[in-house]
Amino acid sequence: MSYSHWMLIALLALAAATIRIVGLLAGSAIRRSRYAPILDDLPGAIIVSLVAASLADQPGPGWLAAAIALATAWFTRNVIATMVVGVASFAALTNLPV
Amino acid sequence: MKQGAIAFLPLALGVALYGFAFGILAAHVGFPFWGVAMMSASIHAGSSQIVAVEQFAGGAALLGAALAGALLNLRYIGIVASLTEILRQSPLPVRLLAIHVTGDENWALTMSENARDPKIGAAFLIGSGLVSIVTWICSTALGALVGSALPDLERFGLGFAFTAAFIAMARGMFRGRRDVLPWLGSFALTALLVIAGMAKAYAIVFGATIGVVLSALQRTLRT
Repeated sequence: MSYSHWMLIALLALAAATIRIVGLLAGSAIRRSRYAPILDDLPGAIIVSLVAASLADQPGPGWLAAAIALATAWFTRNVIATMVVGVASFAALTNLPV
Repeated sequence: MKQGAIAFLPLALGVALYGFAFGILAAHVGFPFWGVAMMSASIHAGSSQIVAVEQFAGGAALLGAALAGALLNLRYIGIVASLTEILRQSPLPVRLLAIHVTGDENWALTMSENARDPKIGAAFLIGSGLVSIVTWICSTALGALVGSALPDLERFGLGFAFTAAFIAMARGMFRGRRDVLPWLGSFALTALLVIAGMAKAYAIVFGATIGVVLSALQRTLRT
């Protein structure tokens, strides 16, 4: 494991512990403040941006596989099913003999 | 505590499958199984770990990868805050243990059981949380062991597994019509910035920010 691998674990662990402790000490006050909705809005906005960033430089088959994954996620609401169907679609679409 | 541990067992299966899949991806980015186990034990937050590892794999700067993972974890401020009442009578070391072993699934289970029977509290939370974290550590490490033994998975589109996982997470977070406009804004801006040549880590920050701003604007216009 390289220095970067170690540092990623250390930084994430520090952040996770800090966030949980802030929640324990000041969570109620934050939830009553006018900034509370940002905590609810942020995760969705980040995830959607992550999807966009990973698709932006993909050719057409990647977008098609993403659409198939989205349909799977929409109806199953299941992470594993979406990953399996998404990867299988991506592999099939990008390896098509065209 | 035992009651919480037993009640969590059916949910542990879902945690194990997700953990196994994450472990395979993490091995692909160069984490050994013991490194993955250490990461899972010290962080215990699936979506945060998967986002950070994906950013790391994509060549994002270390700080950017950690920041992306940490931001996604901010919801735990609210999750832990909601436990205030349940943990009120526990001593500090027990509280600290409880908030570390709390994950999305055992939190939801504890809250719903507590609503049904107010006697269900800290012990149930910790019992279910311990099963959750042990399952998470073991399944992610096992996934990494299997992942490191498998040959060149990129050829079979493994990298796309991250994208698919994010799509599934987005589905779980979708709260209805009020998310449509902010999410379209986030998606479009991020994609345009990446196409224009901006580093992905920065594009994601701008994209997520516009989503939060659009959500706030919508709320202001409604009231």
